[in-house]
Amino acid sequence: MLATPTRPDARSAPPGTAPRPPRIPAATWAIPLFYLGVTLFGMWWIDIRPGAIAAGLGDIARLLDRMVPPTTGPVPSLLTLVVETLWIAIAGTGIAAILSVPLSAAAASTYTGPRWVQWLCRALIVVTRAVPSLVFAIIFVRIFGLGPLAGALAVSVHSIGMIGKMMTDVFEEQSPQPREAIAATGATRVQAFFATTMTRALPQVSSFVLYRLDINIRASAVLGLVGAGGIGVALQTAIGSLDYRRAAGIIIVIIVLLMVLELVSFLVQRSLAEHSDTSTASQVFVPGKDAATPGWSTARGARALGVAAAVALFLAALSTLSIPFDRLARAGENAGALLSGFVPPVFTMDIAYGIFESVLMALTATSFGVVIGLIIAVLSTDHLVRARALGGALRAAVVVIRGVPDIIYALVFVAALGLGPFAGFLALAISCSALAAKFFTDALQNIDPAPLRALEAVGAGRLQAFVSGVWPQFVPSFIGNSLFTSDLALRESAVLGIVGAGGIGFLLQESVASVDYQTTAGILIGLVAVVVALEQLARWARRKVI
Amino acid sequence: MTADLTGPVSPAIPRSARTGPAAASITLAQVSKRFGDNEVLHGVDLTVRPGEFVALVGPSGAGKSTLLRLLNGGHLPTAGTVEVLGRNPAACSRRDLRELRTRIGFVFQQFGLVGRLTAMENVLMGALGSLAMPRYGIMTYPRRLRDQAVENLERVGLLEQRFQRCDTLSGGQQQRVAIARMLMQQAELVLADEPVASLDPAASISVLQTLKKLSAEDGFTVVCSLHQVDLALAVSDRVVAVRGGQFIMDTPTAATTEQDIRAVYAEHGSR
Ligand SMILES: Nc1ncnc2c1ncn2[C@@H]1O[C@H](COP(=O)(O)OP(=O)(O)O)[C@@H](O)[C@H]1O
Ligand SMILES: [Mg+2]
Repeated sequence: MLATPTRPDARSAPPGTAPRPPRIPAATWAIPLFYLGVTLFGMWWIDIRPGAIAAGLGDIARLLDRMVPPTTGPVPSLLTLVVETLWIAIAGTGIAAILSVPLSAAAASTYTGPRWVQWLCRALIVVTRAVPSLVFAIIFVRIFGLGPLAGALAVSVHSIGMIGKMMTDVFEEQSPQPREAIAATGATRVQAFFATTMTRALPQVSSFVLYRLDINIRASAVLGLVGAGGIGVALQTAIGSLDYRRAAGIIIVIIVLLMVLELVSFLVQRSLAEHSDTSTASQVFVPGKDAATPGWSTARGARALGVAAAVALFLAALSTLSIPFDRLARAGENAGALLSGFVPPVFTMDIAYGIFESVLMALTATSFGVVIGLIIAVLSTDHLVRARALGGALRAAVVVIRGVPDIIYALVFVAALGLGPFAGFLALAISCSALAAKFFTDALQNIDPAPLRALEAVGAGRLQAFVSGVWPQFVPSFIGNSLFTSDLALRESAVLGIVGAGGIGFLLQESVASVDYQTTAGILIGLVAVVVALEQLARWARRKVI
Repeated sequence: MTADLTGPVSPAIPRSARTGPAAASITLAQVSKRFGDNEVLHGVDLTVRPGEFVALVGPSGAGKSTLLRLLNGGHLPTAGTVEVLGRNPAACSRRDLRELRTRIGFVFQQFGLVGRLTAMENVLMGALGSLAMPRYGIMTYPRRLRDQAVENLERVGLLEQRFQRCDTLSGGQQQRVAIARMLMQQAELVLADEPVASLDPAASISVLQTLKKLSAEDGFTVVCSLHQVDLALAVSDRVVAVRGGQFIMDTPTAATTEQDIRAVYAEHGSR
């Protein structure tokens, strides 16, 4: 009761009416209940028992034993693959950023062209968002052959959906006046778009593209598992030849690479944030050699250099893709065969079973991850638990665990425990825990500590103070972030089958390998439908709660 | 006060001279505009001669913005004919309409500037209609247009602020940037929809006087909607009052009193 007045409730009673307890939205208890039900069923289906986990720990220990001491094999070839990974991510992200511009312009509600163009662009964004890069990689390897070209295209197609969605939102939020003003001068729609819409969107778009690059480097590190180039190729070879010491060495190289990039991206983001501070200074240019020419200042030089470097990197990345022009005709044939093989798509019980298993793995892992993540988050939030050392260590561990792609956990668990959804579940549970821990820690840091202090002052115990003083403020973001976590887990769980960790991924890869494209089409359609449906459901639920 | 803002301007040859002295800038004949069931303008007639400064007054919802949009092809009339600068927007192809619009400047209440860009870049955008491709950044515009942009910024008194972000300028300065952008079109007709409604009184009169001076120098025609009576009387040659979708008054400013215009806004007005 003490906590009630501090609850940030938008629908507080109007003045003058008798105070009523705030109505708790049904979704606040219905969503956790739904997850609990799914989790209990999932535990039975996947066969998650404390005994199995204990036995698994023994198997994992034995595997780790076979992994030490890790070796890397020949270093130069490994470094080449590391660099190839970066080129794939840069090329893929750049291509996606460029293609997203016209696509988002046409998908936005402000578009005034033909309706069917708008709906086509919207559909493209939804579908490419729903299908993970690794799935595109499987398909593009079939079309373009093994190598980084397939990888870069896979990364770019998935990113088109991600960047396109974000750009569309930014365009739609803008006020229409500048665009209308320029259109009224007799400029073309394209001119008005670049002069007003795109220039205003640029700061948000460029920071989102950088963020996406960060994610795409992670994705590129594992594309090699399906032959689409990068460091993952070496990992696949090592595991295929049961050389676990080498596999361990490569995994360590991947982790170190991703950690270094984490640091780089942190530094870049910080300097961008500082730069955006200075660029809000009113004078953008210093006077130049004449009134109509802006002069060069350090800030303008830095801006120009940054843009030039980004363009140069992108062009260099494109040039390393070694587009096989001689085989491009073949690629066209392959693409034609693939697309014509898609019709009519077939839907079998196996497909339904695979997708069902993927969903179950994802939701069950989310439940475990959310609980574990919450515990980690509470322990690493300073104003809840006063243990700075523990908090710092936990936060560092979360960063490291989050840095490793899910499918690498899955690889290790499959090697230790054998094929099946149990390995996939464990991999997802680990990544969900780290992800949820990060979200929850951020949310808890931002909570108003006043009610907590007040409760402690009146002699409430730690747990009482948390339940009454913190929890009510935290619930909306808890549920929102949990739904977001399960959204991400679902996409991941769809590809874990590629390494045999359960779900639809195995059947998907098999269908492409055995040229059974009708099944591939059925899987893709089913996957898009389920991902989009669950995303809409999550969005609806989030609106109910927040 | 505004006399020495002129700068190095070429002696103004009224652009309207091209179409011949007899041709009207604007001719509306029995023009009606309907949105769904709501008829906003009921068969209005209007002729505006080249070089005139017409103030359009009337209560909010009277149909002033609708009228101005009919004049630049933003709306098409439901009935009647609109002729602007010798063209009928309703009969124009999309390309012709763009060509016509390059000859018509438009000044908005909300300025329509890109806040994160400099005044110079915003002014240069006014020339896009005469260029083929999209542009990004000052240096992508040809020298001739950049010089013209500087000159126009000087004419509105903002030479010093040319490299300043527009969202750091005052409201009055922002509207001046929008006017300099409009000057890039070298328009024959300028439509202004409540251009000073977001400005304080001092900035309002100063912005309107600038517009008046520029129109006198360059010879462009102005149709400007206003809701402040004193401002309308201070700058216009002619006052047209709109109410309930009809013109209820159309008199030379010299022969109009404040009382005449106040009657337009009165709850139960004349007529
Ligand atoms: N695009 C439109 N669609 C529907 N109704 C409109 C539209 N534009 C204006 N109207 C209506 O026309 C009437 C006159 O509006 P407007 O021309 O903006 O008046 P004013 O500018 O004199 O305040 C108002 O009732 C308004 O609701
Ligand atoms: Mg209006």
